[in-house]
Amino acid sequence: MKYALVTGGSRGIGRAIAIKLAKELEYPVLINYQSNDVAANETKKIIEDLGGSCTLLKFDVANIESTHKTLDTWISDNPDAIIEVVVNNAGITRDGLFMWMKPEDWHNVLNISLHGFYNVTNYLIQKMLTNRYGRIINVVSVSGVKGTPGQVNYSAAKGAMVAATKALAQEVAKRKITVNAVAPGFINTDMTAEMNEKELKRLIPVNRFGEAEEVADLVSFLASKKASYITGEVININGGIYS
Amino acid sequence: MMETSVIIGKVDEFLIEEFEVEAEDISADANLKETLDLDSLDYVDLVVAIEATFGVKLIGDDFVGIETFRDFYKLIEHKVNNTQAA
Repeated sequence: MKYALVTGGSRGIGRAIAIKLAKELEYPVLINYQSNDVAANETKKIIEDLGGSCTLLKFDVANIESTHKTLDTWISDNPDAIIEVVVNNAGITRDGLFMWMKPEDWHNVLNISLHGFYNVTNYLIQKMLTNRYGRIINVVSVSGVKGTPGQVNYSAAKGAMVAATKALAQEVAKRKITVNAVAPGFINTDMTAEMNEKELKRLIPVNRFGEAEEVADLVSFLASKKASYITGEVININGGIYS
Repeated sequence: MMETSVIIGKVDEFLIEEFEVEAEDISADANLKETLDLDSLDYVDLVVAIEATFGVKLIGDDFVGIETFRDFYKLIEHKVNNTQAA
C-alpha cells in the first residue's frame, strides 16, 4: 500500500495538507506530530470522518534516533508499505532581533525545519529510489526566499531547505521522484494568530491572509501525478507580497 | 564462512537478473561500473540487492576503491563473513 507522510501534521497548514491528501489523492496518511495529542487526534478524526485512513506517529523530527526508531517500528509492522509522498512541514518560529538571539532559538529552529527534513527524508529516500516513484514537498516560507527581519533563524532554516530542494531534485529526478518547495506568506494559522491582520494585509496585494486549505491545494497538486514534470521548484503562495 | 565460489555465483545471478547484463560480459577483471552501466543512483539497487541476497548492508564508503568485479566479490565476501563471525 502507498502512503503519504506529513510532518507537523496535527494542526495548521500540516493538518490541511493531511486532510487534502487523504480526501483528494486518497492516500492513507501518516501524521507526524511532536506533542499536541488533542490536535493530532482531532485531525485523525476529521480524516476518518471523511472516509480516509490516518495513523498518528508521535516523534520529534529534530531527533534522529527517535525519528528512526518510530519509522523502523512502523515499517516493520507494515513491511509492504511504501511511503511515496513526504511533506516536510514541521517547523517552529522563535522570532527576535538577531543581535539578541539566544543560541537555543537559533538551533531549535534549524533543528526542526532543516535537520527534520534530513532525518525524515534521508531515511525514506532509499525505498523511494528503489520504488522509482516519489513526491517530496518541503513547506518553506516567504522568509526563506526573501529573508524576513526578526526571523534570521527561520529565514536561514527555510532558505537552506530551498537550496536542498533544488539540489535533491536534480539527484533523484531520473527515478521519477520530484522534489519541490512551497513558500507560503501570511496564512491564517496558530503561527500567525497573534499578528495584526488588519494592519498587515495592507502589505499584501490580495489584501488578506491566505488560508491553510489554499496551501494544501497547491501541495496536493504537487503530490499528484499531474505534477510529474515539475521538480526543483519553489512555488510562492503569498497573495503577491513577493515573487 | 561462505565459500568464495558461492558468493560469486550469487552475485552474478542477481547482476544478470536485475541489471540485465550478459553472463559473458562478467569477468573478474572487468570494470564493474562500466559493465553494469551504473550511475550513482543505481548503487541504491545494488545495495538493496546485496542486502536481500546476503543480509548485509553496504554504505556508500564501501564502494570507494571498488573497480572490478573481483574487488566487488571481495567486498561482499569480507562483509558476509565478518557479519557471520560477529
